[in-house]
Amino acid sequence: MNGPAATALAATARLALQIGLLVGLDQLARVLSPHLPLALPSNLVGMLLLSLLLSTGLVREAWIGTGAGLFNRHLAFFFVPIAVGLLAYAALLREHGLALLLVIGLSTAAGIAAAGWIGSWRSSPAKPMASP
Amino acid sequence: MRLLVGVGVTLAAYGLSRWIGHRHPSPLTVPVLLSTPLVMLAITLGGLGLEGYREASAAITWWLGPATVALAVPLHRHRQVLIDHGARVVGAVLGGTLVAMLTGVGLARLLGLAAPLQGALGLKSATAPVAIALANDVGADPPVVAGIVVASALLGTVVGPALLSRLGIRSPLARGLALGTISSGQGTAQALREGELTGAAASVGMALAALAVALLAMPLGFLLRR
Repeated sequence: MNGPAATALAATARLALQIGLLVGLDQLARVLSPHLPLALPSNLVGMLLLSLLLSTGLVREAWIGTGAGLFNRHLAFFFVPIAVGLLAYAALLREHGLALLLVIGLSTAAGIAAAGWIGSWRSSPAKPMASP
Repeated sequence: MRLLVGVGVTLAAYGLSRWIGHRHPSPLTVPVLLSTPLVMLAITLGGLGLEGYREASAAITWWLGPATVALAVPLHRHRQVLIDHGARVVGAVLGGTLVAMLTGVGLARLLGLAAPLQGALGLKSATAPVAIALANDVGADPPVVAGIVVASALLGTVVGPALLSRLGIRSPLARGLALGTISSGQGTAQALREGELTGAAASVGMALAALAVALLAMPLGFLLRR
């Protein structure tokens, strides 16, 4: 096998392994989460578990970085089918659509404004929030 | 076959939406907002329908697990900023969650929506699996909660970034916290498009907000039953 093909094959294999590791961690979290005293869904338990493994050095960022980057870039894709499922609520929307839109719109805006304001509270220029 | 068609349609709609979003960046070209009606149209016109799309939907949604686990990487890279601003992080999540819950229930009550809808609107800022698990505690229907959570996360994702800019909130930490706290996973996906620190702050916002909503659901249910 020549050079570029071998390199591409190795990169694909590495990506597959990285994704496999993320899948494995998600599966582990699905097994663990019902036994935890926290009301968190398994994917968030998996996220916290991987954070813990990364900060203790048991998992190195280099082992999963490329695969995780791919998922991070295209995270929105995985929400499309869930949003398509809104089709099933056409009847509810016909009946209460305007009121629901009003409540959801105003309340979501208020929540975002509140969290945004508190989050930027007293953020002085002396402590810039640039990425470290 | 239906699985392949469904996944193919979703990939095509997402690819097209990303391409349009790159050329015309605007709140209306957020990938999920643009892809969703495209897929709805395709499965309705193509005769697949929501029922025929279910297999593809389940297959893609399964990958949301590892995709959420992957959020640990930006979180880990920016852990120091998040730890240094710990009080602000917790304050923003608690404040945002409380405001979203109270205004959701309060406005629903004001507009005369039934009690189960009031409860569902109180839970709307939590990530879907948490909100659905809490539905019974506030006397709401789990499928209705799912619909409201998804719709409100989508709305927050579309209007949130522009609203934050209009309010002069430019710090990536604050923007990420707001998007993750109020619009959970969809908000985090959008925050990651703004930058890695914004995405990391959103992941933390989403996780802490899930806990905050879970803690506040019990008193909310008690209030609604009175």
